Parts: sequence; structure tokens; C-alpha cells
Amino acid sequence: MAAAQPFETTGMFVSMSIDDTKSGDDGGDLTLAAEYVLGTLDAVAHARFAARLEGAPALRAEVAFWQSHFSQLDDGFEDVRAPAGSFKAIERRLFGAAREANGLMALWRNLALWRGLAAMGLAIAVIGVGFGVMQLGTTIPRPATQLVATLQAAGSDVRYLALYDAASAQVRLTGLSGDPAPERDFELWIIKAGDAPVSMGVVAAHTQSSVPVPEALQALFAAGNVLAISLEPKGGSPTGAPTGPIVASGPVVLI
Amino acid sequence: MATNSIDITELLSRVALKDRAAFKTLYERTSAKLFGVSLRILKDRAEAEEALQEIYIKIWQRADRYASGQYSPISWLVAIARNHTLDMLRARRPIGDDIDAALDTATPEPNPEAATINAGERGRIENCLDELEADRAGAVRGAYLDGYSYQELATTYDVPVNTMRTWLRRSLLKLRECLSA
Repeated sequence: MAAAQPFETTGMFVSMSIDDTKSGDDGGDLTLAAEYVLGTLDAVAHARFAARLEGAPALRAEVAFWQSHFSQLDDGFEDVRAPAGSFKAIERRLFGAAREANGLMALWRNLALWRGLAAMGLAIAVIGVGFGVMQLGTTIPRPATQLVATLQAAGSDVRYLALYDAASAQVRLTGLSGDPAPERDFELWIIKAGDAPVSMGVVAAHTQSSVPVPEALQALFAAGNVLAISLEPKGGSPTGAPTGPIVASGPVVLI
Repeated sequence: MATNSIDITELLSRVALKDRAAFKTLYERTSAKLFGVSLRILKDRAEAEEALQEIYIKIWQRADRYASGQYSPISWLVAIARNHTLDMLRARRPIGDDIDAALDTATPEPNPEAATINAGERGRIENCLDELEADRAGAVRGAYLDGYSYQELATTYDVPVNTMRTWLRRSLLKLRECLSA
């Protein structure tokens, strides 16, 4: 077995060569790589395995083995014509030709945000209480990247809305529902596929807060990455990695 | 949709150089396939539409990572679509209590079926799936094509979720032996 090497981001995930006799919480490595490709691992197991891939060429080769074989099933996916206007929307998001100076208008247009708000029955209420949306237009002097995420999970009443503004490098969090258990705190993580979860610190419940994002982490706030909230001991995880269950999570979406 | 693999590779290499016309052509040639993937996994048209946009944004950002020869370009694109839509589902699914996994088969067990597979044959996934019992093969296909979770598969096949996990892991070990043969 190769010497374990500390991981750059959190120091808690180590890379090792494939151990096909490993019997631990996650089962053998041989099937883990297949489950990773199939997508049957839960959010925490998936993130953990993805973290192991870095600097583990044997494990990556195992993943490539499964992906190339499972891809032979792709004919099972039937073609369905994409909705008209989709490409225009893609171009707008990538090249931002018509990006308005008033960030508020861009926010109103975002389908994902409205669907998320509607799902929480808060479409009117959120605007009514002057959620951070109103401040966007006045503080941004020029077009900037804005990202939004709705954090929730089946079976959990914890719901957060997160708005990341690249110009100010702040995550505006609104705790919409859910309380941590006694002697517990909510901790926020940003997870990029292939990396270990990175802590953004303990966050307050039932209120609006603003979390500054250090320069080293700003690149992690990108569409497709996941924001997650885990239940940790008071004061946050002692290990630098999630130790408790993830009670809410959601993909980050570009506005 | 007949897509020439060489053409897609060339389009991807131009997209890697930020050629927007090539990106549009790539979209026209592949969006039906990738929308089909998104729709099958997400089972919701509006969500699939949103996912498709995010998928093509990823393709634009990652086109330079496609190394011709590793996978076919369509396989690579489908994998991006599958992984993205599964990320979306995964974020909503509860974290499982897989602590009993240690009791499942964690080490490769001797495979009696391996003896019937001609060692000289190159295993392919369809043939290897046929070697499994029908419901085991169905579960593997369900996970790949529909993005079903262990819980959903367990419900479909009317077994406890821990049983489904064991089924799947044992089946994957058998598949691995078959594919490596």
C-alpha cells in the first residue's frame, strides 16, 4: 500500500492505492469505483470517494474501466429534441451579452431561483421582507458573477437560500427553516466534485447572515459545485471534515 | 441522430479553443442525446431543461479536458450529462446509513460463473449483464439509465434496501470478473 499523503485542502482525506480486501464502512474498493460511476453513493460517500481520486492513479484507472464499459449502455438513452431557446439561454449565461447592470433584473429572470422559491411557498414573502436581492442593484458598479443555491434535503426541515456575489466575495445566507439540535451547530461546506468538502464555517439558523469568502476559495463558487449544511458539535467540526449528517444541500447555479 | 465520431472530436477541439460557432454546431448535433439523458434521469421536463443548460456550460468549460482515444466523444458528453443530473438528485437524497456495509460482501468472492466464461473472450457489458439473474441485471441498468437510488431500486424489486445494496455489490463484482476475462 502506498504511503498515505495528506490532502491539500483539508488534510483529512488521504489517497491510497486500491485495497481490494478493504472492508470498512464503504465496502470494497472494487465495487466502490463502480458505484461511484453508477451514481448510487450518497452525497457524503460520493464526495469522500471523489476526494480519494486525486493523486490515486490506480483508483482513477478503476473508475475509467467502469465508465468505459457502462458507456456501452448509452444507446439506451433515446434522443429527445431539446427545448427551443435553450441554446440562446446557454449563450446568454456563458457570454452574458445582455447582462444588466441592475443585478435585480437578472435575478428575477432566473428560472431555478423562482422554482426554488415557489417550492418553499415563499415567492412573495421573501421579496416582501427585503431579502438581500434588493441591495444587489445598488452595490454592484458593473456586471459580476452571481450564483444561487437552494439548500434542502428529503426528510429534513432545514432549508437555506444562498446567494453568492463574486464582486463582494460574500455568500448571503438566509436560514429559512430548521434548527440545529441542542449542543449542535450548522456548518456550511462547499463541495467540488473530485475535492474534499471545504468548510465555510458555522452558520446561524433562522436568520440572514453574510459569510465572506477568502480569495483562496472563491474559485470554488462555480456552477455545478454543491453547497451543503451538516450538523456538527457546537463550534463546528473538530476534524475539518463533516462529522455529522448533511441536513441540506443544493447545487450552485449561475444566475 | 447519426453523429460522426470524428466530427464530434474535431468540434470539441475547436470548442476547447473557444470557437463559438463550433460550440453551436456541437450543440445542434448532440443536444437531443443529452436532453434525452437529462429527461430520463430527472423525469421532469423543466428540470431537464435547466440541467441541459448547465451541462453545456460544463462542456464549454471542460472541452479541453477531452483526450481523444480515452472514450468516444459521445460517451464523454453523455458522462457529463449523467454525472450532472446525478449530482442534482444526490443533493436531494437523504444520506444513507451504510454503517452495516461491513456486513455485506466487501471482498471478492469466488465466482462459480466465471468458470463458464471463455477466458479468451473479451467481455462486453451486455453479454456480462446477461450472465446475471434478470432482476440483478435490471437493477444495474436501472441505476445507470434511470439514476435510481438503492432505495428506489429496493422499492421496485420489493426487497429491503440493505439487500439491494448487497445484490448490487455482488453483481458488480461478478461483472468485473466477466469484463476482465
